[in-house]
Amino acid sequence: MLAVDLTGDSVKAKNGAMVAYEGEMTFKKKTGGGEGLRGMVTRRLTGEQMAVMEVKGHGTCYFADRASEINLVSLNGEKLYVEVGNLLCTDSALRTGTSFTGLRGSSQGNGLFTTTVEGTGQAALVSLGTAVVLRVTPQTPLQVDPGAYIAHTGGLEQHFQAGVNFRALIGESGGESFQIRFEGDGLVYVQPSERNTIGGEV
Amino acid sequence: MNGPVVHDAWTLPVDDNINSYAFSVDLNGQWFLQRGKMVAYYGQIDFQGVGLGHLDHLIAHSFHSPLHAAEWVVAEGRGKMVLADRAFDVNSYDLDDGNLSIRSGNLLAFQPSLSLKQSIVPGFLTLIGTGKFVAASNGPVVFMEPPIRVDPQALVGWADCPTPCHHYDHAYLRGFLGGIRAHTGIGGASGEEHQFEFVGAGTVLLQSTEEVVAEISVGETGGTGS
Repeated sequence: MLAVDLTGDSVKAKNGAMVAYEGEMTFKKKTGGGEGLRGMVTRRLTGEQMAVMEVKGHGTCYFADRASEINLVSLNGEKLYVEVGNLLCTDSALRTGTSFTGLRGSSQGNGLFTTTVEGTGQAALVSLGTAVVLRVTPQTPLQVDPGAYIAHTGGLEQHFQAGVNFRALIGESGGESFQIRFEGDGLVYVQPSERNTIGGEV
Repeated sequence: MNGPVVHDAWTLPVDDNINSYAFSVDLNGQWFLQRGKMVAYYGQIDFQGVGLGHLDHLIAHSFHSPLHAAEWVVAEGRGKMVLADRAFDVNSYDLDDGNLSIRSGNLLAFQPSLSLKQSIVPGFLTLIGTGKFVAASNGPVVFMEPPIRVDPQALVGWADCPTPCHHYDHAYLRGFLGGIRAHTGIGGASGEEHQFEFVGAGTVLLQSTEEVVAEISVGETGGTGS
């Protein structure tokens, strides 16, 4: 559960994520994720839809989502790439948007697009089990199971890697046939469980 | 910056837990792991299905569980590998020239210095030898000493003691009303008339819930491992 103290300022949160609050709060549904008409159209087109509300007031507001673990990420001008289902709450100073992810997205069955969060402030991510944060450097690229990936920051290039060999095609696969390979400099957030992906629980 | 601990290829623990739900293996050689339990890795690691080509020798030595062959892969290479299973608790255990039987869905990974065999108890696997293995449990694991009777669903495994037997609460079953209840379900059963009984010297591993870690049913082959 996440507790947010508000003193007249506001946060953006996943619609319906509020479980309790103390003080005076107003909840306003933001159409199109608060990104204006253009954002609304983009999200509709990309399928990366996000139901967001703006919470404003004085007091403490509590957010939770299906008893998942909550991980706070502090941003100082960097860009956070996150799967829309894993984004719980952001400071209102942070800008959200969509970006193209390429094949990686399709391997997760989450579409070809992902959500970006940019600016200075804090964002809250949800994960099934406490997320593990892994650093990627140019010397140590990282391979991640598509079902366990939740978010990343920094200048990372991602490749969809299929470890499919001849035998995999005839039925006896290694079971870990699809991975995302991250190269560059940055952090990757991984959850200790796997979503269902298009390739099954790979 | 306050926030979660950041791990990299060097600071990931060596064969130890990262948190309650994730385990890091420092791979230099081979490990057996259950299909789909790897969530991330650094380095050069290959994943091969069990029973393939150049691994024949390894399989002959360490894998005697044909019913489960489709659920296991061999990770081969050098690097750090993160294992996790549906956000269940994971822990590693050391076996020193011993034997341990474990519910097949709970076992995540083991070193090839151990040998995996099918237990004669359906749904359980037995590890024999010396080495490390990683197991998942729904809630933390509790270690108990026989003699003890345990709830079938809470049992994760047992080490060194004789194979358990069933125990029925006969005093309860013999009574007329109790007998009707237990056999027909009318009037409701307490659900605690039946236990597994352990005797002899050894250790019994229990999880702190009666919800079994779901597994692929024994005998099922192929599929995506879901």
